[in-house]
Amino acid sequence: MATNVDTSLLGRDVSFTVSEPWLAYWLVVMRLAVGWWFLHAGLDKFLAWPFDASWFVGGAAASTTLAPVVTAFSGGAALAFVNVMVPVGQTLIGLGVVVGALTRLASFFGAFLMAFFYFINGETGGWAHGLVTGELLGLLVFAMIATLGAGRVLGIDAILARTALFENHPKLRYVIG
Amino acid sequence: MTEFDTADMVAAYLGGGLVVLGVVGIGLLEIAAGSPHPVSGEGQIVHEALVPLGIRSSLIILGLLVWAAYAMYKVAATTPATGSARPR
Repeated sequence: MATNVDTSLLGRDVSFTVSEPWLAYWLVVMRLAVGWWFLHAGLDKFLAWPFDASWFVGGAAASTTLAPVVTAFSGGAALAFVNVMVPVGQTLIGLGVVVGALTRLASFFGAFLMAFFYFINGETGGWAHGLVTGELLGLLVFAMIATLGAGRVLGIDAILARTALFENHPKLRYVIG
Repeated sequence: MTEFDTADMVAAYLGGGLVVLGVVGIGLLEIAAGSPHPVSGEGQIVHEALVPLGIRSSLIILGLLVWAAYAMYKVAATTPATGSARPR
């Protein structure tokens, strides 16, 4: 089964056919890959608890473009907040993307976190072989999943979309797939 | 035929353009000019790079911020179209 895409991009007509089952298939594969990436990273930190991000937000980040934002979280209560929120965030984002629950919301925050990893890891050595790294690709996959709303493909968002809460509050549909 | 509205175009072309310029465009320039990679494996900034790393990073960050602003604008100012997917 195929569907015709008929639109315009950069002022030029764009028309092509896409296979519906393969589109659905790749959305799920991307969700599983990038979701498990985050879920694993989050669970890993809980298994090795306590997690200390001071080397990252206070050390590695200090010489990077994001330093003015990130080093504000390098001590005291702000660091304690980061030490909890990074593993909690990664776990929830990963879980949400894998099972397709609140997929857009999870993907937005996945891309948000990934931006910090991309620039700080990149500028401190990760870009030694160029600026396209796994972290940039991860960020872009999160952005793609958020844009396409991939949660209703074999995901819990398909159930959430039919609940009274989401039926009665159309704006909430932005946070699901 | 569905097409981009103004906000879509700003996000897609300005946001995406900045990201692609920072990652791909300047990367092509660096290759053409024979410049080294912007950082060493130890994280030292290589100052011989054609475009200073801070400028290159800032362009990409600006592009990502445009994308993020677009996402927040869509949630705040618009209502999503009802999907036509059939429940199974």
